[in-house]
Amino acid sequence: MKLGLYPKIAADGIRKNGRLYVPYIGTCILMIAVFYIMHLLGYSDIVDTYIDSSTAKQMMQFGTYIMAVFGTIFLFYTQSALIKGRLKEFGLYSVLGMNKRNIGRIVFYENIITWFISMAGGLVVGIGLSKLAELGFAKVIEAEISYRFNISVESVAITALVYSIIFFLIYLNALRQVRFTNTINLVNSDKAGEKPPKANWVIGIFGFILLFTGYAIAIKIEQPMSALLWFLIAVILIIIGTYLVLIAGSVLLCRILQKNKAYYYKTNHFVSVSSMAYRMKRNGASLASICILLTMVLVMISSTTALYVNREDSLKNHCPRQIDNWFGRNGFDPDYHEIAANILDGLETRTKEYGAAIDNSILIYDYSLAGYYEKNYLNIDIDPMESVTTLDYDKVAQVFFFDLEEYNRLTGGNDVLTSGEALIGIEGNIRIDDELRVGNETFTVAGRFDPLASDIRYAIVSPVVSTIFVVVDDLDEVASRYADYTDSTGTKMLAWEWQYYYDVNLEEEQEIELSRILGSYLQEELKPLGGNIRSFSDSRADQRNDFVKTFGGLLFLGILLSAIFLVACVLIIYYKQISEGFEDQSRFGIMQKIGMTKDNIKKSINSQMLTVFLIPITFSCLHLATILPIIHKLLLLFGHNNMPLLVTCAGICVLVCGIFYAVTYKLTSNAYYKIVS
Amino acid sequence: MSLLEVTGVKKTYKGRRGGTSVEALKNVNFTVEKGEYVAIMGESGSGKTTLLNILAALDKATAGTVILDGMNLTTIKDAAMAKFRRDNLGYVFQDFNLLDTFTLEDNIYLPLVLAGKRHSEMKERLDKLAPALGITDLLKKYPYEVSGGQKQRAAIARALITNPKIVLADEPTGALDSKSSDELLELFSRVNGMGQTILMVTHSTKAASHASRVMFIKDGIIFHQIYKGSSTDTQMYQKISDTLNLLAQGGDLK
Repeated sequence: MKLGLYPKIAADGIRKNGRLYVPYIGTCILMIAVFYIMHLLGYSDIVDTYIDSSTAKQMMQFGTYIMAVFGTIFLFYTQSALIKGRLKEFGLYSVLGMNKRNIGRIVFYENIITWFISMAGGLVVGIGLSKLAELGFAKVIEAEISYRFNISVESVAITALVYSIIFFLIYLNALRQVRFTNTINLVNSDKAGEKPPKANWVIGIFGFILLFTGYAIAIKIEQPMSALLWFLIAVILIIIGTYLVLIAGSVLLCRILQKNKAYYYKTNHFVSVSSMAYRMKRNGASLASICILLTMVLVMISSTTALYVNREDSLKNHCPRQIDNWFGRNGFDPDYHEIAANILDGLETRTKEYGAAIDNSILIYDYSLAGYYEKNYLNIDIDPMESVTTLDYDKVAQVFFFDLEEYNRLTGGNDVLTSGEALIGIEGNIRIDDELRVGNETFTVAGRFDPLASDIRYAIVSPVVSTIFVVVDDLDEVASRYADYTDSTGTKMLAWEWQYYYDVNLEEEQEIELSRILGSYLQEELKPLGGNIRSFSDSRADQRNDFVKTFGGLLFLGILLSAIFLVACVLIIYYKQISEGFEDQSRFGIMQKIGMTKDNIKKSINSQMLTVFLIPITFSCLHLATILPIIHKLLLLFGHNNMPLLVTCAGICVLVCGIFYAVTYKLTSNAYYKIVS
Repeated sequence: MSLLEVTGVKKTYKGRRGGTSVEALKNVNFTVEKGEYVAIMGESGSGKTTLLNILAALDKATAGTVILDGMNLTTIKDAAMAKFRRDNLGYVFQDFNLLDTFTLEDNIYLPLVLAGKRHSEMKERLDKLAPALGITDLLKKYPYEVSGGQKQRAAIARALITNPKIVLADEPTGALDSKSSDELLELFSRVNGMGQTILMVTHSTKAASHASRVMFIKDGIIFHQIYKGSSTDTQMYQKISDTLNLLAQGGDLK
């Protein structure tokens, strides 16, 4: 055979199967482009010109890994769909006298051609769009914008390397598929009598059980800390459940409908129900994949936008005032009053010297302990390090002791307490009856208050564990009783802290500068008191930078990945429609001959299409609705506490994705109808 | 009045770019009486399948009329065509055309379901039909599970279950082995014996020899016809093959 025959056959094959190859190559191009962009933003030094973008950069680095892994899985999936469409052609070559090795060479050249076009196209598109992406990235993370155009040789090289490896793996897989198929099977690959889908009760019901267990776990989760593991379990259950339900459960449903003769033998149901069983058997898996991808997109986009939009509020939760001064240490300090008074004075003097007024100040002083709460008793003897694996995070609680005087000042009340009595405030999932025992001390509950209602809430360190506020008449006296508790490392369990928040109404840069001055003052001033005292001064402006970089980076990552996932969805839907079109072609010919009108046929197709269309999006909305509460709890870790916003974002996402999905479906149905008619 | 009257039917296929056009049927005239069993014979390309498609209203004649039981097929609107076909015609195909997504039973029910019949009525009709066709035990099976002959019997059941005015069969034995062919032809004779009108297109002499009348089509016209009369199948077979020999030699019978 002449040299150049194989490349020619390969090129012809691709051209003639354009309907299959064009979308495939298009997806490759897009994936390579996005990978290049992520790599550029995550690794190249152009982003170093932005100040402090390391968190945002890390997100992009993380994104490149996801792109590599997802790209491999997804391209494998599409490639096997592609090769299936070509097996018949290969069978013909084989009948004409080509052996497996010859066909392997055709496959090789096809891969070389798709690799070359995808790579060249992907890099051109990636480089072309990189500046746009960079500007968008800089915008969401509020970094300086540079108008220099950059091409990173390193990113180009890495992108080329990673995707060449992926293409090589795909080539091996295609080769494997050709090698393990017989000639006669190749020729008749589409004629093999297909067994009717069996209703598999066990798998179908098992799928429903998994799905609902996943839902139940997702709904039940209370605490994000213990949630993390359970959340993963719930997600895995839901994913497996989705696959089983869509593959087996749907066939089961069709079979049950068929058993109902009055329902089944109706013009509208007869053809639809029986074809649906086949359709679901063949497409259950791709519908489940579409469903999972859509869910991921919905979750990613709604949570990252909610975080990003709410960043200022989260910031305010995190930094209630513009300047935040803090110091504290472990152990009991009887002479804190003098230290604190001295520091307060020093901070105010220095702030005024800087030329700023002190506004809206909040002063908080408390002692705290952490322990394991069970039924009116906080066990503080437990060593968290030893029992970390068996620890139930739902039961870990932190106790803050407040002085009554302090409490009355913060809340503006004038409560009175006697020794042994306490006012109790609870934030979290804990119930306390008439008495609370903390270690060996017992407090009688004299009253209750809502800690979130006053400035006292700023003492809460973490929304993750439960917090108990205990207001006592003489804080020093109570604290002294806990002075001797130590953990296994010898550190005192009791800790005290002093916090002073206030607004200064300065420009952002000045705010940052002032907090640096105050921070070093605190350190200097507290140094004589011993090493274990800790202090800092923070400014909201500085934190804002961090927040914007983190949330902006997340948002950007979410958008890029969602775009890729959506494209993946579109491609799966497209291939599904095309393969169904070919399968249905002959069937509709028969129905027409037997006396079905074109209208009937069209109606039946439409109803099946609509069902198939609605299944994934309905399931993903269901998934989203169930896991939204956990997402809310996980977002608490980022200081985001705005459920209505999250729900709104989710709603908008569902709407946008729904429209996008519907348009895709409409367009790909056209491909289907073109084949069928 | 005859059950089926075909007068001056012509079918011309136009070349794609308006170039050469092919005359598949030039001028076909014949009638079929109620209860007749007619075979149309001809070589490949003689136009017999085109004729059958026109009779089944799957294709439109370029000129001429087809009248079935007083209804003019050539004037029925496209929308009503499917219903007409469903109610009046039974069609048996060479390659069975059973839907692989249905059991044989559901395949047979299909035309009735489309006509909106109740399940009890469908079942009643099938219960009567199935023993005669010998498919009672096969009803729950899927097409891929049964042999060609069994598939064709199911297809015949599907054609008969609507009580059609005429059954049109297109090479019904074409995809069957000789034993199954024989059984099928027996079955056709029996069905015809019950009064069912059958029009079959075939190029198998054996198949045609079962019919009460054989028409020969060549180059788009009905060239000749023989009646079986009181002859046996074997005698009829001989007559047919003599005629075919003559036709093949280009002889003129007229």
